[in-house]
Amino acid sequence: MTLAAVLRGERGRAGARAVWVNAAILALCLAVSLGVLAGLSLAVGQSVAPVFAALGQGAVGSPQALASTVREAVPIALGGLAFLVPLRAGFFNIGGQGQLEIGALAGLLVALHLPAPPGVAIPLAMLAAALAGAAAAVPALALKVSRGASEVTTTIMLNFAIVEFVLAMVTGPLKDPAVFFSSTRAVPEAMRLPGGDIHLGVWLALVIAIAMFWVLRRTVFGFELEAVGGNAPAAAASGIRVTRVLVIAVLLAAAIAGVAGGIQALGVVHRVAEGWSKPWGFVGILAGLLGGNALGVVPAALLLAMLETGGRHMQAMTGVPAALVYLLQSLPVILYLALRATPFARRLTAEGARA
Amino acid sequence: MSGEIEFLLAALRTATPLAFVALGVLLAERAGVLLMGVEGVMLVGAFAGVLGAVITGDPWLGVGWGVAAGLVGGLVLAVLTVWLPADQVVMGLAFNIGCAGITSFAFRLTASSTQKLTPVLALPEWLAPGTLVVVPPLAWLAVAFGAGTWFFLQRTGPGLILRSSGHSTYAARAAGIDVRAVRAAALAAAGALGGLGGAALTVGWVRSFNDEITLGRGFIALAAVYFARWRPGWTLLACLLFGAGEAAAFRAQGLGGNPHLYLMVPYILTLLVVAMTGRARAPQEAGRPYLGA
Repeated sequence: MTLAAVLRGERGRAGARAVWVNAAILALCLAVSLGVLAGLSLAVGQSVAPVFAALGQGAVGSPQALASTVREAVPIALGGLAFLVPLRAGFFNIGGQGQLEIGALAGLLVALHLPAPPGVAIPLAMLAAALAGAAAAVPALALKVSRGASEVTTTIMLNFAIVEFVLAMVTGPLKDPAVFFSSTRAVPEAMRLPGGDIHLGVWLALVIAIAMFWVLRRTVFGFELEAVGGNAPAAAASGIRVTRVLVIAVLLAAAIAGVAGGIQALGVVHRVAEGWSKPWGFVGILAGLLGGNALGVVPAALLLAMLETGGRHMQAMTGVPAALVYLLQSLPVILYLALRATPFARRLTAEGARA
Repeated sequence: MSGEIEFLLAALRTATPLAFVALGVLLAERAGVLLMGVEGVMLVGAFAGVLGAVITGDPWLGVGWGVAAGLVGGLVLAVLTVWLPADQVVMGLAFNIGCAGITSFAFRLTASSTQKLTPVLALPEWLAPGTLVVVPPLAWLAVAFGAGTWFFLQRTGPGLILRSSGHSTYAARAAGIDVRAVRAAALAAAGALGGLGGAALTVGWVRSFNDEITLGRGFIALAAVYFARWRPGWTLLACLLFGAGEAAAFRAQGLGGNPHLYLMVPYILTLLVVAMTGRARAPQEAGRPYLGA
């Protein structure tokens, strides 16, 4: 009860003003980032208007562009949730990328080899992706709980170990002998996620985001998570089983990352190959930081995906290199976190040190 | 030249960039800052090194450019994670993504010059006579820096001050130490070392730049530091071990087995060491922002 009051009080005091302050800071950061793009366009000898036009055109200019932006946003949003959910309990899950990649491989294997009709095999493939993602977080969790090892280190190490493992699989035992590049066999037409341009995975991701928002805001578990993240000893003293809450949160998050991989494998790329993935897990972390909560991740992911798809079009149309995209994706986040860390913003939003 | 010696030289070549970056990570973490932006710092140094080597025509000046660029990166990280301070982990990760964007962009802008091979980095004849000339020149420097880092941390006053800011900010502050200044200085040095490592990779070894050429080597260096439990000498050995792993991966076809399985080894080994030691030896304050009094 007292703990609840403290948490409510914190939230109420920060309350509406914090939301507006954050929104204002965010708008400022985006404006500055677009200003940087304008400056760099001029630096490479392009006038600003066509660059911005091409960026918008490629991101949302046509139904196809919009659809590809939405598809691109799916793994970013889920990667953001995979970062954000355990962060509520103070656990930094940097391992989203590895969890996503192993999930993709697991989902793909089920879709390739399970002799079942799509109606059964596709859900099972997604389940396999979720389980593989969760399994990928187990070493980090075990080391955290039993040895107190920093999850930042262990999830990063796991990322690279898993990425190399997936590469070893697609260049080795799982390589499709029929193609000249290193890749698994392609998911057969029937086993792909239905729905065309806006495939089933888009809706699945949206449902997951809404469900996570609800879980974090409206359930006992979500409350416990916040209590653990806010003050673990106090949470333990008030009867919350801290380790259990942490374990569930991390497994859930890693499963979400795994599902993101399954969605990419079955819905978009249809093969896991050398260089098949983009850094969705890491860009997802940016989305999580920008979005701030489980629903905010969705527009944040859409924004980052717009930069990605728009950036490619911008390069094709104006010759401004799409390589800028990574800068445009990270700059607003860096500025946002930096401005929110200033004493001025801290006073306005009554927030602590951690972002 | 026999196969073993060739392999050892290959391991030295791969280990040298790791060693500089790892020593930088070690300094930052001993001062209490998690250097998650290590990959970005290394990438910036790798690009600036090639740019400098091509523009000036002198590979040693190119290395200097790499160091300078890394230093700037370290100072940016210092502003973000020490002076403000925002969270060290997420800022570092965002910084890495941003650096990937900046370097790829700048690489395309300067493609006419930076797509050339840089001149060979070699010691003058009087310094490295005879067969010693085949040893990558920066490898000597890496060993010297390793010894220097150990001496600095364990045998000098400023080294003690640096370690105390990573061990207990309260005690450091009570002793009149300006923790922020110490950490900013450590990050500047770490950035310079990271940039040197990046330049050692491009100018000192592959002699060219490409998008995200560091390929996670910054994080391998990070792993080496954790593997060695934050001790300079052991960190160098860990870099040599991980470098040998990478060299073995290049030869995987001949050795039998998939190169990517060799490339998993550093991370698995580090996880095993973490499993055995937990955070027992980690600098106590690493990762915690210092908010002042």
